[in-house]
Amino acid sequence: MASLSLKHIFKVYNGDVKAVNDFSMDIKDHEFIVFVGPSGCGKSTTLRMIAGLEDITAGELKIDNEVVNDFEPKDRNIAMVFQNYALYPHMTVYENMAFSLRTAHVPNDLIYEKVTEAAKILGITEYLDRKPKALSGGQRQRVALGRALVRNPKVFLLDEPLSNLDAKLRTQMRTEILRLHERLKTTFIYVTHDQVEAMTMGTRIVVMKDGYIKQIDTPINLYKYPNNMFVAGFIGTPQMNFFDAVISKEKDIVTYHLECGTKITMDYTYTNKVPLKYMDNNKKVIFGIRPDDVRLKSNKYTNDGTWISLKAIVSVIEVLGGETIIYGNLNLNTIDSEAGQIIIKAEPDSLIKRGDIIDIELSLNKFHVFDKETEESIKKRIPINNIINCNIKNNNLIIENESLKLPKVLNVSDINNTEITIPVKSIMLGSGPLTAKVESIEQIEDKVLYYLKINDLILFAEEQMKKYKIGEVVKLNIDLSQVSIPEKDIYPINLENSLNGSFIKEKVNKKEYKFYIKIGDIKISPTNVICEKLFTCKGHKIFNTPLVYRFNTLDIVVTKNSNLCKLKGNIIEVYDYGNKIFSKVNIEDENIIIEYNGTINEEVMLDINLDKVTIIDKKIDIIIV
Amino acid sequence: MINTLKKRKKRSMKTKRLFGVTTTQIVLTALSIIWIIPLIYLFVQSFRAEPGAWSPTFFPKTWTLDNYKKLFTETKFLRWYGNTLLVSIISCIITTIFVLAVAYAFSRIRFKSRKPMMNIMLILGMFPGFMSMSAVYFLLKILLPNNYQSLASLIIVYSAGAALSYYIAKGFFDTVPKSLDEAARIDGASRFRTFYKIILPLSKSIIIYTILISFIAPWCDFIFVSFIMSGVPDTGMYTVALGMYNWLEREQIQAYFTTFCAAAVIVALPITILFMWLQKYYVEGVTGGAVKG
Repeated sequence: MASLSLKHIFKVYNGDVKAVNDFSMDIKDHEFIVFVGPSGCGKSTTLRMIAGLEDITAGELKIDNEVVNDFEPKDRNIAMVFQNYALYPHMTVYENMAFSLRTAHVPNDLIYEKVTEAAKILGITEYLDRKPKALSGGQRQRVALGRALVRNPKVFLLDEPLSNLDAKLRTQMRTEILRLHERLKTTFIYVTHDQVEAMTMGTRIVVMKDGYIKQIDTPINLYKYPNNMFVAGFIGTPQMNFFDAVISKEKDIVTYHLECGTKITMDYTYTNKVPLKYMDNNKKVIFGIRPDDVRLKSNKYTNDGTWISLKAIVSVIEVLGGETIIYGNLNLNTIDSEAGQIIIKAEPDSLIKRGDIIDIELSLNKFHVFDKETEESIKKRIPINNIINCNIKNNNLIIENESLKLPKVLNVSDINNTEITIPVKSIMLGSGPLTAKVESIEQIEDKVLYYLKINDLILFAEEQMKKYKIGEVVKLNIDLSQVSIPEKDIYPINLENSLNGSFIKEKVNKKEYKFYIKIGDIKISPTNVICEKLFTCKGHKIFNTPLVYRFNTLDIVVTKNSNLCKLKGNIIEVYDYGNKIFSKVNIEDENIIIEYNGTINEEVMLDINLDKVTIIDKKIDIIIV
Repeated sequence: MINTLKKRKKRSMKTKRLFGVTTTQIVLTALSIIWIIPLIYLFVQSFRAEPGAWSPTFFPKTWTLDNYKKLFTETKFLRWYGNTLLVSIISCIITTIFVLAVAYAFSRIRFKSRKPMMNIMLILGMFPGFMSMSAVYFLLKILLPNNYQSLASLIIVYSAGAALSYYIAKGFFDTVPKSLDEAARIDGASRFRTFYKIILPLSKSIIIYTILISFIAPWCDFIFVSFIMSGVPDTGMYTVALGMYNWLEREQIQAYFTTFCAAAVIVALPITILFMWLQKYYVEGVTGGAVKG
């Protein structure tokens, strides 16, 4: 029974090969977490780091709020089941299970009690005096589980435990492991490359690729709302249908022009989460739809308007008994080409053969759109940005008919119909110069997404709690420091400050050294925690490593007390956003932004909260602290 | 048509295989006869009654056990035999421990100088040991200033450099799945406990192989003994190899040749028994290491 917390975990081999990149996750007690991904994606390495079989290059691993980076595996209170079972071949099943207890000098009668109990749970009582060689794969797997069980671990780690079993046994063991999880009520972390295993077992799934986390979510959310093309393609069989496309918009009608020639036309409301900038009939996107969300047109279903009809030509039919999978092509002239291929899940008794032209229907509520270049979803559940077109006139931002006074710093000449980006998070509801009507509300996990309508324009806003009702008129304001107007070279103010520097030591006397953070010519005494982390990660190489010190604007304050002063600099620019005022400070030829109302050329003394600083190895780009 | 062709092909393959097997058998038989003749000669000569070094016939004219009697009553052979046994057993124990420990460490622990050390040791092991003889002599003089011409010196010489022949054992340990070590580590076992409780019981064949090799080396060695013991007046300090060699010198060979043969048979005895008893493991040990060597 334990919670785990992984914070910015990195694994670097041979100084520059990154196997795991910035793995951060919180695992609650009694969760069943599955790491899934293709081979070489770093899932096993992560598991082995949690187990303590691999060192953690950088980052912090906590089990039950205790940092365990330097703990031996046995002291972490974990148990691990290996892919090849790793049973001791020369010992009987009983001895295999008793080994850890014997190592811990547990009295014999207690060992007997624990082993027989575990054996009873797993149904291997009659094999206790056999050697592993005399057992079948499934039985061996059970022994491996039993060996983990007797230790009463807080966390169970399972490294592809079922991949050596045949298909039937695998399904059986899957339910058995789930039952064990229910019974033990401990935290399980399970590694697999099989997406079916992941979907059926996990309470949450971590999809990984090339050492990066691609998405962490519940199975159903991964399936319904994949964040990127990789997750969309990896989860679900048969795979999601992908089509290259461009989007055009005319008034309220949006058309997806698929590369195979098919056009999918729909009302704007179905696709209003896709930023408008993609609807220019030019930017390449990927249109994705799951085979489950495509159906054969039939009078069994009534079309309530949320399904769009298309035609396809059938190329291959796979009859699976319970269902039939149809491989068709949207381009009726090319039956076997890759471009317009669409997979459809159909009823088992459909009498379709190759070459038939069929009527199909696509669900307009369930399609996905991805940016072709980044492969990221552009139809996110909670959009990140509102990208809208509006006018600027007399220093007023005109959104439809509403106007918002721009502060001095955003003083720009008049401009018509320009694209501006407003982050969803920087729209503040409750008060302000703008008014909008709540068009619709969506509860997404623990957040509320508001669709706000200003005339014909939809703005998204995000809140933690539901405060307003549909139809209600709300006042709103925009945090202008985060707005960008590309045409006028206005970009959001960067709240993340970075300074280049290094870490040095200085001799105090013969045996003692003092360590400093060095930025330009300035030396700052670091905290012990920082020193420790830097040393454990890089050893003595740290003194030759170029570092980047990164801190949030909020963690720097101007101080009058010279004892607290860590950095000194001159203000070179002041940005007045009305409700917030920022100053740009020049420190040793580098600039940082602080929230401070100063005057140009004023010298300021700054105090940095060193507990919040992030230190990055510049060469291989890993977060050390 | 096709059928007959196939049949012919089949037949030709059969004859080919038969021919191959027969040739191999003939060559092997010839080789083994060549190898075994000196052994048989040695064995039968040990029962020869006629004196002298040279015998006109392969088999003796009169058979006797007197050579053996002489060996045990009139010579210091028993003493030498005891010496050799003592040296061999002690250095065998030390060598086995060294080799297994070094091999396990190289197989399992990753440290910075692992690769260079392995290479250096491999290259050093390729040089014949007697190249270092004079250096060893002086080192022994420093180590045991009063007593360097002793059995203790021999034990040191035979076992100190033993770790150089870690390679086959390392190859064997490499084939034992690493996940066993990891499972033991998670089970809370220390490195030593893992080695002792998990790895060693699984490595019977390589242990026996190592024991055999490290027993035979001192048992059969002549060069180092003769070098270290040269000029020692007390022949009671000799090992069998050195003592027996003295019987082959010009003044002695006439009187001692048949005794020498008898001694050789007795010397060969323990090794032969050991090999016959443990040959299954020996082969397993050599080939087991070779797979992933």
